[in-house]
Amino acid sequence: MIPKIAYARPHSLKEAVKELSAPGTIAHAGGTDLLGCLRDGIVTPEKVISLSGLSDLKGIARTGDGGLRIGALTTLAEVADDHVINEQFTALAEAAASAASPQLRNQGTLGGNLCQRPRCWYFRGEFHCRRKGGEICFAMNGRNEFHCIFGGQNCFIVHPSDSAPALVALEARVRIANSRGTRTIPLDSFFVDPAKDVTRENILRPGEIITEILLPAPVTQMRSSYRKARARGAWDFALSGVAIGLRFNGKRVDQARIVLSGVAPIPWRAVETEQALAGKILDGETVARAAESAVRSAEPLSDNAYKIHLTQGIVHESLMALRPE
Amino acid sequence: MTLYDTTMPDDKPADGQPAPAGLKPWGETKVVGTRAPRIDAYERVSGAAIYTQDISLPGMLHAAILRCPHPHANVRRMDLSKAKNMPGVRAILTHESPSADLPWFFGDKGPMSKLFDPHCRYEGDEVAAVAADSPHRAWDALKAITVEYEELPFVSEIEEAMKEGAPPVHEGGNRGRVRTSERGDIAKGFAEADVVLEETYRTSCELHTPMETHASVAQWDGSRLTVWDSTQGVFDVQKTLAQYFGLPSSSVRVIGHYMGGGFGSKLELGKYTVITALLARDTALPVKICLSREETFLCVGNRPANIMQLKAGVKNDGTISALHLVNVGSGGAYPAGSGVGYLVQDLYLCRNVKVEETNVFINAGTARAMRAPGFPQCAWALEQMMDALASKIGMDPVEFRLKNVPAYSQTRNNTPFTTTGLKECLTEGARVFGWKEAKATIRREGTIRRGVGVAAGMWGWEGSTVSTAIVKLFADGSANLNIGASDIGTGTKTVMAMVVAEELGVPLERIQVENADTATTSFAPSSGGSQTVVANSPAVRKAAVEVRTRLLELAAEELKCTVADLSLNDGAIQTLTAPARTVPLHELQSLAQREMLVGVGHRDPHPQGKIPLPFAAQFAEVEVNTRTGETRIVKFVAAHDSGRMMNRLTFENQVFGGIAMGIGFGTSERRILDAGQTGKMVNANWHDYKIPTAVDVPPEHTCISVDPHDTECNNTGTKGLGEPATIPTAAAIANAIFDATGIRVTQAPVTPMQLLALLAGQEKGGRQ
Ligand SMILES: Cc1cc2nc3c(=O)[nH]c(=O)nc-3n(C[C@H](O)[C@H](O)[C@H](O)COP(=O)(O)OP(=O)(O)OC[C@H]3O[C@@H](n4cnc5c(N)ncnc54)[C@H](O)[C@@H]3O)c2cc1C
Repeated sequence: MIPKIAYARPHSLKEAVKELSAPGTIAHAGGTDLLGCLRDGIVTPEKVISLSGLSDLKGIARTGDGGLRIGALTTLAEVADDHVINEQFTALAEAAASAASPQLRNQGTLGGNLCQRPRCWYFRGEFHCRRKGGEICFAMNGRNEFHCIFGGQNCFIVHPSDSAPALVALEARVRIANSRGTRTIPLDSFFVDPAKDVTRENILRPGEIITEILLPAPVTQMRSSYRKARARGAWDFALSGVAIGLRFNGKRVDQARIVLSGVAPIPWRAVETEQALAGKILDGETVARAAESAVRSAEPLSDNAYKIHLTQGIVHESLMALRPE
Repeated sequence: MTLYDTTMPDDKPADGQPAPAGLKPWGETKVVGTRAPRIDAYERVSGAAIYTQDISLPGMLHAAILRCPHPHANVRRMDLSKAKNMPGVRAILTHESPSADLPWFFGDKGPMSKLFDPHCRYEGDEVAAVAADSPHRAWDALKAITVEYEELPFVSEIEEAMKEGAPPVHEGGNRGRVRTSERGDIAKGFAEADVVLEETYRTSCELHTPMETHASVAQWDGSRLTVWDSTQGVFDVQKTLAQYFGLPSSSVRVIGHYMGGGFGSKLELGKYTVITALLARDTALPVKICLSREETFLCVGNRPANIMQLKAGVKNDGTISALHLVNVGSGGAYPAGSGVGYLVQDLYLCRNVKVEETNVFINAGTARAMRAPGFPQCAWALEQMMDALASKIGMDPVEFRLKNVPAYSQTRNNTPFTTTGLKECLTEGARVFGWKEAKATIRREGTIRRGVGVAAGMWGWEGSTVSTAIVKLFADGSANLNIGASDIGTGTKTVMAMVVAEELGVPLERIQVENADTATTSFAPSSGGSQTVVANSPAVRKAAVEVRTRLLELAAEELKCTVADLSLNDGAIQTLTAPARTVPLHELQSLAQREMLVGVGHRDPHPQGKIPLPFAAQFAEVEVNTRTGETRIVKFVAAHDSGRMMNRLTFENQVFGGIAMGIGFGTSERRILDAGQTGKMVNANWHDYKIPTAVDVPPEHTCISVDPHDTECNNTGTKGLGEPATIPTAAAIANAIFDATGIRVTQAPVTPMQLLALLAGQEKGGRQ
């Protein structure tokens, strides 16, 4: 059961960040992740600050430079259904559509999706693990088939978000507000590696929230996609996912961004693969080699070696599907 | 050879005796067999239906149970002082409370435990209970109880539990007695075989997780106890509660009008119900308990995991010469049974069969009957083996099965089945599925491959015959049906009302069903074991026929004709001879004077010398992505001989529901314990424990009722359906996956993770 909490619903960003600067507070957007965390005792705030009164944080709009501004409170369903996003930022629309279930997408927000807590069953369960301040990571020697094959150190979670890898592949930036003002940073540098700090997944400090997600103007000959593999058809996180953003120059790849989900504690840039693709025509051999390079540095745990094959498989499949006609 | 009578090559069936004279099943029907929506659909959908969890009584308290967080521990000390003084807390029970010092029984094994056993043998074992004036206060109080546990070594897996020196769950070790049954001579059978195959199949522990979590409300009135319970059988709960409280049955009333699913996990009295009744007695107030979702994963039953070694011998002509099954399963920390052997012994003709079964204790929640207990597991082994044997002798798997269809039960002295629709299930199913064409043309090459598979099954229990129904016909021509049976979501009330409508010609809207209340309805067995329709509909029919007979007699007297001149249709009496007259029931004076006609029907015994059992065959087409291990079930056909189909809609509900559940068992569901580390269940929630969703069930889904017109099984011609529907599903899928990939997946469930690991191995090391 959800413990006793106080609740506030400010109507301005200023008020909201002020409220959130006080210790023991936490932001509440759609609540789809937060309520579960409260019920399971994963977070124990004294006061919940609802963002739902901040109407400026809702909606999708064109920016002056032809890019897109998506308010942090925009729901995943709105993102998945948006015509422009489907046309020009396909990976994001596909990622949003593949998350959770229709009900959750109607309620969950894009900002919340980036800031949701990990789904590791030890973290979520009655286990005092490192991420909760304990001494050990239970996944290391325990049941780890859903855990990471890249970047695991101290802790072997995977980052749960589907939208994050798509946004990183599309070179998104996030605007962060605090009581002193706002700043924008590349989303790629938003997430925190457990090697640096095992207790948090992103760089937000108390009193900080995401206000919007910014997408750069689409270049012509840009193609993107998100492919997610899961253990059941819906209402399930990624076993492995890949977001791909390719800029073409004719038939040749000009620049590639390959970002994996479900396999690392942060959205995982497959840098080697990105480099391997630059300047190449996507023929069968190039694709096969690229897919192989994506998993070259994987370090599986006892139960998750399948993720190597899976990731290679979906990278292969996605690259083939993105080839220009 | 008649349609349902297959050759019996060697053995002679026992002599069949004629079924007892009496009502014969209907020929043509008007209501029975149609697509009749649930008579309580509006109540259920609108929220008007009152489930146990909806009950709210004046002054009612709320209970919650503190459960052991360890797989194996002794409760050393408890400190209740803080919890006792919390606002709204009214009572706390522990193993030290004199009123709660009660033994707890597991089957016929004697008192193996206590209501609160300080020696906790599984995660979720009851340690203490609180009653408070709100659910929140009860849960808060649980958190305030401090318990000092002595953690004990534990064992989570079957094979570990069998090892020398494994931590014993009970004194005397973990390994139960080997139960052996044997017929013929398997050594001889294997010697005669042209092909002998042996394989070890494994299934995982599956959980019921019904939509409505387990719940009870208890209220005392002096020494009379009333319990509302989310149960599959109010009379079972009444009987055991009466024993626990030393009360006459007449003083215990159990009510279970609506309930939100059980699948077997609500077939027995739960500790939570006894605890709730004790708290209600101690506080002199009504008390309610609703288990949390997590609790339903830990301590109200499961389908045990099994390891099944199956050896089979077959001759080149398709004769199965020997079957040998060695099964080890674990029903958890207490005796619950993990046997699976039935199908090996009875589904196909085979003269030499040996089954050896052992139950092993582990430190995990105890099993309870789960939709066809043992059968989907055995089908997983046997039906994959049948597939492998067929391919070895170069016979089509459908043909191979057809060659071995039994007409009699080999486990019961070759007593004939009333009907064996297995042959028609196989042939009709294959025809509708397009089996031959699919087999010949399906694409098994490339990255995305398709395959088809078949599996068959039967259910092994004919059900209870102890059931009484009462039908009351009111003077206005409306009717009341009184039955003790619970409608666990399967549409029991609707089907039984259809029987009344059939006999009395009263429209369904004018029939009210009173059910599942030990004080006001007559006895019915629990709704489980696929017996609900079979056990109750014949009694209902007899009660309705009694009313009908009496009504026609009265009408004949009043209309001055003979009963033979009258018929009863659409709520009116019609004369068949001139002058033609139609008298609506409410105009019948003799009925008006009596206000009500009452008919009582007792179910007849099973036919002597014959066994009525249902059969099934299911066909699956799958598509496997060999790069990712993802499998889609693209098409599914289920053919069922469950005797007469009573209602097309509830028939489809059962079959589709059974298949969905079978898909879960076969592809995604399993209890995962943190073996070797904490022993705790890591996926006790609906996200990590993966039940199939709407997109995981096949888009193309057909179910066929193969009605063999069984005139002997009972007076409604019915056999069970709920369980057969889920028995062959997983094996049919596994066989289709084999067809597509050449990989025999012996471990259920076939998750994409497992399949991909096997596919990757295949790429490296050839076919598995
Ligand atoms: C059963 C289930 C299945 C799911 N499956 C998937 C899936 O397959 N893929 C996937 O990607 N996601 C999945 N999710 C997660 C879901 O998409 C997220 O819960 C949702 O997007 C979070 O949005 P919200 O608005 O509800 O966030 P909330 O629950 O309100 O907040 C989540 C967290 O983010 C913080 N937060 C919220 N907004 C902001 C902000 N603007 N700035 C800073 N911090 C903020 C909150 O403090 C909180 O810690 C699933 C969730 C559930 C419950």
